[in-house]
Amino acid sequence: MKIGAPKETYEGEARVAMTPDSAAQLQKLGYDCVIETGAGEAAGFSNAAYKEAGVQVVKTAAALWKAADVVAKVRPPSETEIKRLRDGQTLISFFYPGANEKLMDLAKGKGANVIAMDMVPRISRAQKMDALSSMANIAGYRAVIEAGNNFGRFFTGQVTAAGKVPPAKVLIVGAGVAGLAAIGTATSLGAMTYAFDVRPEVSEQIESMGAEFVFLEFEDSQDSAGTGGYAAPSSPEFREKQLEKFRELAPEMDIVITTALIPNRDAPILWTEDMVKAMKPGSVVVDLAAEKGGNCELTIMDEKIVTKNGVTIVGYTDFPSRMASQASTLYSTNIRHMMTDLTPEKDGQVVHNMEDDVIRGATVTFKGDITFPPPPPKIKAIAAAPKKEAVKELTPEQKKAQELAVFQKQTRNQVGLLAIGGALILLVGLVAPASFMQHFIVFVLSVFVGFQVIWGVSHSLHTPLMSVTNAISSIIILGALMQIGSGSYLVILLAALSVFMAGINIFGGFLVTRRMLAMFQKS
Amino acid sequence: MDFGFTTAAYVVAAVLFILSLGGLSGQESAKRAVWYGITGMALAVFATLIGPGAGLWFLSIILIAGGGVIGYQLATRVQMTQMPELVAAMHSLVGLAAVFVGFIAHFEMVNVAAAMTDGKLIGSLPEMGTFANLIAKKSVVELNILRVELFLGIFIGAVTFTGSVIAYGKLAGKVDTSAAKLPGGHLLNAAAAGLSLVCLIWYFNSGGFFPLFLMTLAALFIGYHLIMGIGGADMPVVVSMLNSYSGWAAAAIGFSLGNDLLIVVGALVGSSGAILSYIMCKAMNRSFISVILGGFGGPAGEQMAVEGEQVAIDADGVATALEDADSIVIIPGYGMAVAQAQQSVSELTKRLRAKGKTVRFAIHPVAGRLPGHMNVLLAEAKVPYDIVLEMDEINDDFPDTDVAIVIGSNDIVNPAAQDDPNSPIAGMPVLECWKAKQVFVSKRGQGTGYSGIENPLFFKDNTRMFYGDAKASLDQLLTKIS
Repeated sequence: MKIGAPKETYEGEARVAMTPDSAAQLQKLGYDCVIETGAGEAAGFSNAAYKEAGVQVVKTAAALWKAADVVAKVRPPSETEIKRLRDGQTLISFFYPGANEKLMDLAKGKGANVIAMDMVPRISRAQKMDALSSMANIAGYRAVIEAGNNFGRFFTGQVTAAGKVPPAKVLIVGAGVAGLAAIGTATSLGAMTYAFDVRPEVSEQIESMGAEFVFLEFEDSQDSAGTGGYAAPSSPEFREKQLEKFRELAPEMDIVITTALIPNRDAPILWTEDMVKAMKPGSVVVDLAAEKGGNCELTIMDEKIVTKNGVTIVGYTDFPSRMASQASTLYSTNIRHMMTDLTPEKDGQVVHNMEDDVIRGATVTFKGDITFPPPPPKIKAIAAAPKKEAVKELTPEQKKAQELAVFQKQTRNQVGLLAIGGALILLVGLVAPASFMQHFIVFVLSVFVGFQVIWGVSHSLHTPLMSVTNAISSIIILGALMQIGSGSYLVILLAALSVFMAGINIFGGFLVTRRMLAMFQKS
Repeated sequence: MDFGFTTAAYVVAAVLFILSLGGLSGQESAKRAVWYGITGMALAVFATLIGPGAGLWFLSIILIAGGGVIGYQLATRVQMTQMPELVAAMHSLVGLAAVFVGFIAHFEMVNVAAAMTDGKLIGSLPEMGTFANLIAKKSVVELNILRVELFLGIFIGAVTFTGSVIAYGKLAGKVDTSAAKLPGGHLLNAAAAGLSLVCLIWYFNSGGFFPLFLMTLAALFIGYHLIMGIGGADMPVVVSMLNSYSGWAAAAIGFSLGNDLLIVVGALVGSSGAILSYIMCKAMNRSFISVILGGFGGPAGEQMAVEGEQVAIDADGVATALEDADSIVIIPGYGMAVAQAQQSVSELTKRLRAKGKTVRFAIHPVAGRLPGHMNVLLAEAKVPYDIVLEMDEINDDFPDTDVAIVIGSNDIVNPAAQDDPNSPIAGMPVLECWKAKQVFVSKRGQGTGYSGIENPLFFKDNTRMFYGDAKASLDQLLTKIS
């Protein structure tokens, strides 16, 4: 079968769904590759590079749509493009089926199978084709670069001969993939980075990227496990509390990057007009949610504006396209992984397995039917966090009481054991003859000494301990030696055998212990 | 030489033995401690040879020397990876010797009894040795106690003998390592134990050899069947338990012979083995009883399904990650021992340390087939012991670790022990290596390993599987890291 990528028709879109590298990999799956001429130009991949990778270059879009059995695209298809679809053809691209019902109907009418890259379920197995994440990663990085471009100072604090430069303070709102990428970029540029998210369980991730988690004290914070790792709308009280915190932070922050999105909804307003007003002149807000209306009240989609008090607000929506080469490489790899899953036999034939959770989830039209929305995946993306019990701070008195209780319990245990042990020994003493008791006392004391001594043995020396105890347990040789000289031949034979075996053990045990111990050495 | 000197020598020997065990608290003092043990043993044997009761000392010395030659051969030839087998095999010798010595004591008793009924016995019987003299002076109650002690000594000795032989077989791979039981399971053990009890009463009353012999057979069976029913993964507990038994057998024989040194040493060894077993059980979060009764208990309910896929990686990928890492933790397991990969691990460690990286080892208490097994292997490969850490020392450091390398271990790094209350190993303390930024697992294939429990670690996002024989994989890795 043939897989092809047309030139993107959306204005300003520089990405391409197939790179020479990904084409080489697709060919290994048994596919032939075609590409529209100039499709990779804007992303830095020339026709020649494609040809070198064995990709057929066709002159027009129409020819490409006709030649390819599978069409890979970045942006959702335009109406012209969708009309070119034919029965049985497969289209893989971003589709946003929730917002594009008309397109979906058209595709259904054509009988084409459409796989929406934005619908790939968020489970670990599907991560390799999670194009939203790979694009968000780029967007997060680029947002910081874009902010730096519009910000008149260093990110990192410096003390130079020409004076002291304070570090930039960056606030990232929403720690999804984009947010985390932004945190990583900002901290590595040297900024003091703060981050906020409504999901408290991401605080660990935030801190692992080197930012400080902006802690919001609020009960009943949400657990995102039930919503596939995405955020859900929060209660009005929570929102109030959150805005209050942002208001408090606004005057200090030099750069604010907002990435808060809730699936299938408008972006929540988190950075209000008064917060923008409170910011210092020269500060920058980058709104990664601009496409969904923006997290900042003043954001204008696809534009960069400067407010009256000198705050720059960036509302671009094409961050991945601004890094077309990188974005194309990642996206085409996502596509290639999707094709790997669609080609279990690696024979260049698409097997559209609707039983597969991932493929089923991403398919929006199949054989003339609309298959959106998909049933919920069988597996949750993230295990539900176990309810954490609040660890109570103990007052000094409580601590003392607790320690005392532990001590008393220990004392009780010890005294109890001693009493029982003592009573038992006394009991034995009542019935047993004196000659037995002499030995019995020796025995009890030795067990006691043994317990005291062995607890001190270090873990790493347990093997030498075993071999040395093994060696000294051949003390049984004494029993044999004491008797070998007396009685019958049978006794002598048995005693001789015992002596012999114990002899093996004594030498073997001690020597091997010494060998082992000699190996332990300090660096 | 009279009795006083022997006793004095025994006291000195006992002190030396205690010091020798106590000295194992640190690597440096341990080197001295082993000499205490050797001196103690030499003194004890010497004092017994020249002391009262011993005869045929020329034959004895030849026998000891002969045994010594074999012991020397064993000790110098054995590979460090075979330590568990060697220890188990040597336990069986002690067990068998205990059985023999018990038998001898019984024959002596019979002899003395015969002499007494003949009416010859007045005063001492120099030609029959001190033990016979000792018996001759005993009252009826004392004789009865003696019989019980003897009986116990032989019983424990016999269990130790067959148990150790089976343990040896399992560790050496000569016997199937999975838990196997004859039909009837523990009922058979209980029946054999019951039979032994009957024999005890019988022997108590008759003093004949036959009940003793019958009991020995029953005990041999118990030892065999008990250890057959315990799976390979529980071997650390089994070996230390057998170690304990061999001590108790010696102590019981010591009682019957009236020899204090035997009692002291037997008790020391017995308690040492008991504590080791306890530590091992605790490390696996299992009760001693459940280990002894064999096999892992069935899962308590539906186990969590493992989700995701195992992602493989090649040597290049591992090498790159290691180059970038600052802190590395290596977690060795039985797989490293099997593949004899400790030298390669050591070489890797050396090279990484030369590049200024922090390399440490995390040792789980039950890693390997013997308590402390991994420490010995790493020491053999000249890994400095101060970078080899216990579980409790290193578990908190994993979140700050860049790369964790798991070499041939499985259950001890299984997150299911913490996450899945229905897992058979739920609650067992494990090394939390999955908290490291990246985990590489060197493993032969996708199988579940010894205990047959699925390991979610292998499916985690930050885990990469480095398939292949541990030694081959590491050698390949070494070619990429200069």
